[in-house]
Amino acid sequence: MRVEMRAAPAALDANTPEASPLAALVFEPLLRLDETGTPQPCLAVSWQHEGTGKRWQFNLRPGVKLHDGTQMTPGDVASALQAALPGLAATANGEAVIIRAERGLSSLLLDLAHTRLVSTGPFRVSAFEPGRRVTLAANQDYWDGRPFLDGIDVQLGRPLRDQLVDLELGKTDFAEIAPADLRRASEHGRAVWSSSPVNLLALQFTPGRAEDPRLREALALAIDRAAMHNVLLQKQGEATAALLPQWLSGYAFAFPAAQDLGRARALAGSLPPAARTLTLTYDPAVRAARSLAERVAVNARDAGLAVQVSSQAAQADVRLVEVRIRSLDAARAMVEVAAALALEAPPFVATTAALYEAEHQLLEGRRVIPLFHLPDLYGAGSRVRVFAPPAVTRLGYWRFDQVWLAVKPSGTAP
Amino acid sequence: MTFRTRLLLIFSLTVVIAVVFVGAIVSTTTRRAFERLDEQRVAALTAQFRQEFLRRQREIARQVKDIAQADTTRDMVIGLTRPDAGASAYYEAAQPVATAHNLDFLELVSGNGSIVSSAQWPARFDYHEDWVTRRQDWDTQEPFLKREELPSDTALALVAVRMAQVADSKLYVIGGQALDREFLSTFVLPAGMRALLYREPQSVIDASGPVPQTAALAPLINEIRQRRTDLTRTVNWSGDAAGAETFHGIPLIGPDNELMGAFLVGSSRREQVGLERFLRRVEILVAAGGILLAVLVTFWTTARITRPVEALAAGARAVAGGDWHAQVDVRSGDEIGALAAAFNQMTGELLEQRDRLVQAERVAAWRELARRLAHELKNPLFPLQITVENLQRARATHPEQFDEVFRESTATLLAELGILRGIIGRFSDFAKMPPPRLETVDLNGLVRDSLKLFEAQMQAAGVELGLELAPDLRAIQADPSQLGRAVQNLVLNAIDAMPSGGRLTVRTIAKESGVRLEVADTGQGLTQEECDRLFTPYYTTKTHGTGLGLAIVQSVVSDHGGKIAVRSEPGKGATFTIDLH
Repeated sequence: MRVEMRAAPAALDANTPEASPLAALVFEPLLRLDETGTPQPCLAVSWQHEGTGKRWQFNLRPGVKLHDGTQMTPGDVASALQAALPGLAATANGEAVIIRAERGLSSLLLDLAHTRLVSTGPFRVSAFEPGRRVTLAANQDYWDGRPFLDGIDVQLGRPLRDQLVDLELGKTDFAEIAPADLRRASEHGRAVWSSSPVNLLALQFTPGRAEDPRLREALALAIDRAAMHNVLLQKQGEATAALLPQWLSGYAFAFPAAQDLGRARALAGSLPPAARTLTLTYDPAVRAARSLAERVAVNARDAGLAVQVSSQAAQADVRLVEVRIRSLDAARAMVEVAAALALEAPPFVATTAALYEAEHQLLEGRRVIPLFHLPDLYGAGSRVRVFAPPAVTRLGYWRFDQVWLAVKPSGTAP
Repeated sequence: MTFRTRLLLIFSLTVVIAVVFVGAIVSTTTRRAFERLDEQRVAALTAQFRQEFLRRQREIARQVKDIAQADTTRDMVIGLTRPDAGASAYYEAAQPVATAHNLDFLELVSGNGSIVSSAQWPARFDYHEDWVTRRQDWDTQEPFLKREELPSDTALALVAVRMAQVADSKLYVIGGQALDREFLSTFVLPAGMRALLYREPQSVIDASGPVPQTAALAPLINEIRQRRTDLTRTVNWSGDAAGAETFHGIPLIGPDNELMGAFLVGSSRREQVGLERFLRRVEILVAAGGILLAVLVTFWTTARITRPVEALAAGARAVAGGDWHAQVDVRSGDEIGALAAAFNQMTGELLEQRDRLVQAERVAAWRELARRLAHELKNPLFPLQITVENLQRARATHPEQFDEVFRESTATLLAELGILRGIIGRFSDFAKMPPPRLETVDLNGLVRDSLKLFEAQMQAAGVELGLELAPDLRAIQADPSQLGRAVQNLVLNAIDAMPSGGRLTVRTIAKESGVRLEVADTGQGLTQEECDRLFTPYYTTKTHGTGLGLAIVQSVVSDHGGKIAVRSEPGKGATFTIDLH
């Protein structure tokens, strides 16, 4: 199967974020989280812990082979754990791995579910040109059965527009799609797969700039998320004023995201004229970033703010950023998002009410203005089939072990 | 002013006036030629502008009409009516269409005025362009000027609106081109000219971009804004006239008669001013050369004309100074030469006449002297002769009385001989007048001392003395003996002039340059002729006297560097005035 992607990782490590979709095909964790966030066996078939939660034992799946053909041993897993999670003490014990820690390890299972350890996945790397191309081959000895695909040819660093063209021309079987191209991809009969809305698009004020809270609030209230969602994002994902998506937190709707132009004008009018100017920058790699930034500028103009949009401004007042949700656990996701947005680290809380309160406090100063939660969108070629969907997980990881290609007999018209 | 200076001034003035006159004519002609050329070039450029504007209007109208009538646009109109699609499906539709039709601006606006897609400002989707829904006859409207809002700027656009309609659904197609640098770059500009585009409210561009520092254009633009008509004005960018430009402004009026901008054709005056300055420099050089030539011609001319004249003047001054032998060496054969010859002849004749005059005067003087001597000597001689004859007669007829007669006669003879000696002494004194020995003298004191000598004589003659001596009279340098004799002569002369009595007034006056002595009598006075000859030696109006008194007075005054004058009229006395330093 031919695959194209925008990211161009220079290395193919197990836990490099940029290479995570590919790494999920090659490396595997001890356990996985299912659609509900419940840990499910992967390399470990069972686990138990002592009452204090400071000693865990993970019983490894027998007969698992590494991509080099050797048998996976508890020592391999313990070494990989030590490297990926330095705060832990992992040792081999027979067919099991023992993990000890001084503190309580209440979130250990989440950590382990997000930490890919060894190369035992359904595909192995047969060739890698850093930043350009990865060739994966089916792991004949995969413990869950050989994948349907013989191999995957991944072209790295392909712009979204080129991916769409290649998809339409049949030059690729699997490509990323921008929200604006969703209709175009659909119109040509392509299957569109998506993750849950795991990408937070938000405006992040640069520390030390735009210090007047009225200015930040005026901008937040001026934004017409609905129009952007309908047109620029083709109704994909969801408009939001919360950090965590509704599907993850359950309370995102409680953060008002509607435009309040009157209030925004009043706030902007209370500012001195010189303080009504902002510079907005964006990462061109972020999907629809330029269109969204320019629309924010138009909305701000209606409120009486002058927002200058540039992709080059090094000292911008505010940035349009994209932060990816990488955990199915809301509390953990909150901590990760807050860290990515340079917000004060929230407490690791267990209840939804406490989580809401923590998020409310994070957003109180309007240093970050959440805009949308967007899913990963992929277009699949006409010959791509999935035996057991989904091929893309809620967090956007690829599951190509259940994908196969419907190859027409030779001599048949395509 | 000398003849040479006057001649130089006349020549120089003539040259300068001629040069300035010619220069003014040339400058005026040149300026008019430039202005005519400018007018022609500006007219050509404005015609080019109007032609290009019209061409673009037609082109834009055609392009927008094509878009409105295209099948894809009709599909879009239909698509907009579908509830499952809506406007969001066409958000990016305008940009490629605008590019394909060579339009800078293209907006697709739904029937309710909402922007479906904007090529120039994609982010403005869903905003309303209400103005477009207010009329439905767009298909017959000519393209018009419109201020087009852009994300970071405002552009001046020439736009057309056409409608695409399917059943009851409408789509307004608003397309246009910017009047910008590219528009200006289409004009072929002659050297020294440029085309600017002013866009409200205060943007001025040329073919290369924004024009900096356009404050000098503000008065022209304000006038265009007020009058809404073509205007031509000169704009001074700096104090230098060469930096000025003549601008012709054409107002660009919007559909609601509002000023959207102005097309400005600038014509640099640098070339014209440069030529004018060159001509002025040439004028100055020619004038300077002319003046130099005038100087040379003047010197040459004056060398030919004024040098003989100056020689004649010098000769005349020499003659006036007493050099009767002065001759002028002029050999030219022209009028000046003839004048010089006449001058030389005149001085020669004057010299001969003077010699003859001197000879005659000398003879006359000798005759006068002889007459005076004869007169003076005749008086004593007659008594001498009578006395001697009495002695002879007494000896012959009365010998007894001879001794007595002899004694009386010898006394008479001695007295008459004394008179003869006195006469001879006075003549000797006048001949032997010594140079004055100067010392500080109080003139008032000298006058008083002199008058004391004549008190008795004046009393006897019935002459009343009036003494008016200046109290602040300063002392003078003089010989008191000679000056005293002069005063005495004048006083004596005055007493003699008043035999029947009268008033003698002696007055001293302090003057800035010295002192003045006046001696006035109320005698019978003198005629003008007598006044003229009064100081001539041996001349007298009296029946007695040698005629040397006033001659001695004049000699003394002259030796003291002073002046003596007399003013008199017959019957009104005479006043003698002596000025001394």
